[in-house]
Amino acid sequence: MKRHRINPTRRTTLTLPSESLTQAASIARARKVNLSTVISEALANGLQSYAATQRSEEILSAYKTAFSGFSEEELLLLDGVVLEPPAKRRR
Amino acid sequence: MIAPASGPFLFDTSAESWLGRTQDAILQNWFQEYLSIHPVHVASITVMERIRGYALIASHSHQPKRDAVERARTAYLSRLGHVWPVDAAVAVVAAEIMALLPLPPTPPRQRHKQIESRQERLARWRFDCMIAATALVAAMPLIHNNAADFEFIRSAIERTPERFPRLGPLQLLRCQSLIN
Repeated sequence: MKRHRINPTRRTTLTLPSESLTQAASIARARKVNLSTVISEALANGLQSYAATQRSEEILSAYKTAFSGFSEEELLLLDGVVLEPPAKRRR
Repeated sequence: MIAPASGPFLFDTSAESWLGRTQDAILQNWFQEYLSIHPVHVASITVMERIRGYALIASHSHQPKRDAVERARTAYLSRLGHVWPVDAAVAVVAAEIMALLPLPPTPPRQRHKQIESRQERLARWRFDCMIAATALVAAMPLIHNNAADFEFIRSAIERTPERFPRLGPLQLLRCQSLIN
């Protein structure tokens, strides 16, 4: 039988903006779920989006390092374009 | 404007570096949004062209510069996205393109007093054919910065669909069109 992993929960006290809380309560009523479910889903989405932003910033930073400090000719080399002085070509 | 969410896209060698070092805030935002949704897909040929470039720069540099080149190379490889291999399907499609278009449509590149040799130009043309083949097999639009070469390939594929069964058309997106 397939065993489902249950995500453990923990009780805590948070101070939240009343407007967000009112909105979350209204969503919970409409979906017929409890307030904790709505808030934990919103938190999970927020954390996922934060992780995606972090990941994209890390990649952009790696690209900056990968392509900075090079001359125009060197950047062409990095794009696969090899230029040579005419004298060298005749050899 | 091309929505980043409409990806994933395959990035040509020069398109990847162009986006990776752009100073244009709108393009930077576009690329950041894309990266938060999709990985950068590249052909293995792109990795080969890039690493060959780092190796050539390092071979003509003195030690301090070599260390900087090694840092740049490591940074590039450390965050590599999805790399598409040249498998049998890509090889077959690339061979068909190369047979249809044996010679490059544009002359060798020149800059100041330097020029690309005919051999280098032919090799680069064949690499472009392999990158276009990778995009076709992966069924992904190709983001490029090289309209003359890739449009030539796209037209040839459109004229001879019987050589590319169940593939194509080659979808091309110019870097500049991403935000326009």
